[in-house]
Amino acid sequence: MIAADSVWKSFPVERDRPGFKEFITNVPKFLKSGRNQFWALKDVSFRVNKGECLGIIGRNGAGKSTLLSLLLGSSQPTKGKIEMQGKRTPLLELGAGFHQDMTGRENIIMNGILLGQTKDEVLMKIDEIIGFSGLEEFIDRPIRTYSSGMYMRLAFSVAIHTDPEILLIDEILSVGDEFFQKKSNEAILGLINRGITTVFVSHDMSSVKKICSRVLWLEHGGIMADGSPDDVVEKYITRGSDDGSKVY
Amino acid sequence: MDRNTRRTLDLLQILTDKEITVKYKRTALGFLWSLMNPILSALVLFIAFKIFMRFQMKDYTLFMLSAMFPWTWFSASVLMCVNTLTGNTSLIKKVIFPKRLLILSVINGQLVTLIFSIPILAAMTFYYGMHPVWTWLYGIPLLMAIQYFIIYGMGMLTSMVNAYFRDMEHIIAVCINMLFWMTPIMYPLQMVPEKYRIFLVLNPMTYLIESWRDVIMGNNINWDYILISVVTAGLVMSAGTAVFNRMDKRIDEVL
Repeated sequence: MIAADSVWKSFPVERDRPGFKEFITNVPKFLKSGRNQFWALKDVSFRVNKGECLGIIGRNGAGKSTLLSLLLGSSQPTKGKIEMQGKRTPLLELGAGFHQDMTGRENIIMNGILLGQTKDEVLMKIDEIIGFSGLEEFIDRPIRTYSSGMYMRLAFSVAIHTDPEILLIDEILSVGDEFFQKKSNEAILGLINRGITTVFVSHDMSSVKKICSRVLWLEHGGIMADGSPDDVVEKYITRGSDDGSKVY
Repeated sequence: MDRNTRRTLDLLQILTDKEITVKYKRTALGFLWSLMNPILSALVLFIAFKIFMRFQMKDYTLFMLSAMFPWTWFSASVLMCVNTLTGNTSLIKKVIFPKRLLILSVINGQLVTLIFSIPILAAMTFYYGMHPVWTWLYGIPLLMAIQYFIIYGMGMLTSMVNAYFRDMEHIIAVCINMLFWMTPIMYPLQMVPEKYRIFLVLNPMTYLIESWRDVIMGNNINWDYILISVVTAGLVMSAGTAVFNRMDKRIDEVL
């Protein structure tokens, strides 16, 4: 279960840091101006029930990834509250924490623990993970020798074998070659059908329609629509073509 | 053991392993470097101070190294800790885990080098006609524990401040260097002229380093020095924890 209650999130606007000379000559100005804020999320509220799959769509910079990192807990809302029940598994950046000089096997163990498993739990599943990745012959080589596709396959295989309860996905379904893509899509669908709660950010409208049970459309940090996948995607696409300058 | 504790310990262990092994992963000597590093730096210092500068002092090399090795653990760890948060951005933003484990793993990794330098110190005591004494058995672990907390506190403080204020990294490098010369490592405290000695007396690292030397060289332990070091550790830890917890909430905005 996920409940976001009127969540706001701001970031300090990064201006070019003033050089020391400018700072000294303009001290009053810098003291006065205070901090410029950029509101990435404005008053966002929603609920995701257990077993539901919520899709989040919107243009670049609409606040989708910010929302995901708030749900993950790697950042805190500026205002408002987020309640989560269950173990969160992030599929935000595949291979975050991979080390180039360690072997595939060593990276599986480290990544599995980072994603919330104990070492024993990872070791119990390691053959399954290696099997899923299809990288048996490369698994004891350092991953700096991997192609980028192999790297992603390894990362994805670890991530989906971590017994997620809440899965947070940031458009990573297009992993590896066509064959592996099919396999990974099926694996994710399998997890969703097993009743875990999912939040799924994507620009791929057909997979959003296929996977999600509900869709949230974000724009400029606010919610534009929240409803059934077909309706919201439809609205989003029509709106996108209305003002051609900003087609997603 | 509760599952979460288990996972945290596993994570700490694997991060520490990584810290130790990855450093030497593509080297020919591998883990042997942990032993080679202290031996070679001992040799360099021996040549510089005993052969070139002909420092006239009894047992000088042992005197210096018994302070130098613990100091290296301190300085190397603090200098590495400063970058633990800024250097692991993707991990911190995309995965949830206790960030302080990054700091602890750095300290543990450097501790291994100190542990490997203890046999060197033991060998040297024989060379100088002494021998390791029983105080080593409790003195060394005790001092390690105290110093561990000092480094941990410093690590939390500097790494977190560095995330918001990247000048910290450069400031700390200068400070560590300054602190090195303000601590009686290369010279005995009594050698400093009386009127300047106050700088060393006010430096808490003086007491810790002097205690290391007392233990290694088999002198009587000065328990006042130990007490001062414990108090220092307590203060640094509280400051570090307070800053770390407070600034942690908004760290995603600055990384």
